[in-house]
Amino acid sequence: MERQKLIPRLLSYKASFTLIVFVALLVIFQVFTPNHTFFQRANLFALARLAPDLGIMTLGVGILMICGEFDLSVVSTIPMSSFVFAKLLGFGVPLWLNLIVTLCVGVVIGLLNGFLVTRTRLPSFILTLGTMLFWKGLLYAASLMMPIGIRSWLPAGSWLENILLGIIGGVFPVQALWLIGLALLLAGILHFTKFGNWIYVTGDNETAARAMGINTNMVKIIAYVGVGLLCSIVGLMQCLRIESFSPNQGVGFELKAIASAVVGGVALTGGIGSVLGIVIGTLTIQIIESGMILLGLPAFGIGTFIGAVVILFAVLNKYISRWSTR
Amino acid sequence: MKRRVLMVSALALLLLMLIPALTFAQAKPGAGMYFRLITHGGNDPFWAVFQKGMIDAAAELGCRADIDLAGSDQNLQAKRFQEAVAMRPDGISLCINDDKMWDKPVADAIAKGINVIGTNNDDTQGSAGNARLAYIGQNESRAGLMIGRAVFAAAKAKGWDLSKMKVACAVEVAGANYGVVRSSGIIQAMAEFGIPGKPEIVDCTIDMTTAEQRITSYVIAHPDVKAMFGLGGICTDRLTSGMKNAGKQAGDILGGGFDAAPGTIQGLKSGYMIASIDQQQYLQGYFSVYVLYLMKKYDLRPQIDTGGYLITKDNIALIEKLSPQNIR
Repeated sequence: MERQKLIPRLLSYKASFTLIVFVALLVIFQVFTPNHTFFQRANLFALARLAPDLGIMTLGVGILMICGEFDLSVVSTIPMSSFVFAKLLGFGVPLWLNLIVTLCVGVVIGLLNGFLVTRTRLPSFILTLGTMLFWKGLLYAASLMMPIGIRSWLPAGSWLENILLGIIGGVFPVQALWLIGLALLLAGILHFTKFGNWIYVTGDNETAARAMGINTNMVKIIAYVGVGLLCSIVGLMQCLRIESFSPNQGVGFELKAIASAVVGGVALTGGIGSVLGIVIGTLTIQIIESGMILLGLPAFGIGTFIGAVVILFAVLNKYISRWSTR
Repeated sequence: MKRRVLMVSALALLLLMLIPALTFAQAKPGAGMYFRLITHGGNDPFWAVFQKGMIDAAAELGCRADIDLAGSDQNLQAKRFQEAVAMRPDGISLCINDDKMWDKPVADAIAKGINVIGTNNDDTQGSAGNARLAYIGQNESRAGLMIGRAVFAAAKAKGWDLSKMKVACAVEVAGANYGVVRSSGIIQAMAEFGIPGKPEIVDCTIDMTTAEQRITSYVIAHPDVKAMFGLGGICTDRLTSGMKNAGKQAGDILGGGFDAAPGTIQGLKSGYMIASIDQQQYLQGYFSVYVLYLMKKYDLRPQIDTGGYLITKDNIALIEKLSPQNIR
């Protein structure tokens, strides 16, 4: 009897559908790519090296969405952190101090977003659209939109580069470990702590959460700070990888992160989602990009396919919600 | 008394010092003139160099000049153009980034007595397609031809069989004028070197991570591709990393492209990139002001090709030196 209920119960988790699609896509791409190149070492290496950029950021964005809020300013926090890092390198600031200041950039932007959203009670989509434009404008004015190469101040192989971008045994990029480690840490917080429960309750029903004595403002501010911090880590990783600050860093990430979270089963209305789903959702979006090119399909169609996948999962999630609440 | 004499002497000295400065300011030929440069640019470093050229020229001529950056929003750019026309400046320099939408606004502005010249982007038909009075910018097709020639000559020098060579082009904005025209020059170079077919276009977006991922996947999926071009600065910047990610050594695939972003410079130094084209946009901003000034004064109407400066590992040091000054 229990065994008979197991499959419907497993399927009632939104992430399980994403996982099924993810595995199916892996199989399809491996079988149908010419010379079965999908699982080729170079491709997996590139995915493990590049996917964490979006993945790490989406962890924060997804959890914030579970909390019932959005953050579009991520697209400015990433290059802003990178800019501060490159500039401080130029000023000769010690690397450890530079690291702390760069991470603080994200924390401060996150704090400001959190305060704005909780104080004004206006939709975060609009408020963070505003902060996105504000920070971007400031960044463009400060940088004059010029890239800043970092190699004259930071030779290759620095301790920070090894920690963030190293390659273990010549085959495994450390970036992937960062994604896994941060995902495990955040999964622990979200799924096994009281604070994690507060996030779910705040996103599901804020009024009820307040009635239960939860300081929902604090919960949201912490979630925003988390997003900012993760964006700074991504900005730093990108700056070290591309060996420069570029004003174009992170362009389009804000919507891609939301799309990845939706594919991973996070509800746009808040209160529903999981870290596992967010990670699988991000990876799904990324392997679609890679797999379609490996299949030899024209790259122009990638957006269409990703769009279709996002719509499919948004619809699917709606029906799973209805099904699981019956 | 002594104090008063001292004060009068100091004032007289100050006046004496100011006279040459005032005379010099009045002597500047463009004093009182105002020009407006309306571009589709925005979120990339390219335009900071363009703007620097404009500022330097305006300072030399003693005129005023402003730049509009529409951030690739054509509607906003059109609005800025109309606003500029309403201000009745002494001349407008415009990025003509569409073959149709600028035809009437430019003709109307000229009919109102405002000089309008094209810069950076031109109608694909040139003066036959748009009423603009002059053009300053890179001949994109010639630039494509030049970079194509440089890369294919390197392939020939390696003794590769060019008749079997596959070529690809990575582009940030698929279908954009610059990519289409630049790739047409590359196609012309392919024909010159006996390379059959056309290059495959890889849509990479303007995000660096996405561009790198797509270039990597493309290189893995197409082991027969032996030459790859970035049609814009971002894709050119990411070519080297894409090739490295795909397990290629320098020289396995010959890279070429446009502009001199940090990744491109590293690629040129490490041998993954054969050459890159600098369209010298400093000159586009600089000459825009000078040409509008000369047009107002003498009705001169030149066509200036600013592009075609080939950056290779031999002259990369100069680019590295001038880049932080927003000149290259």
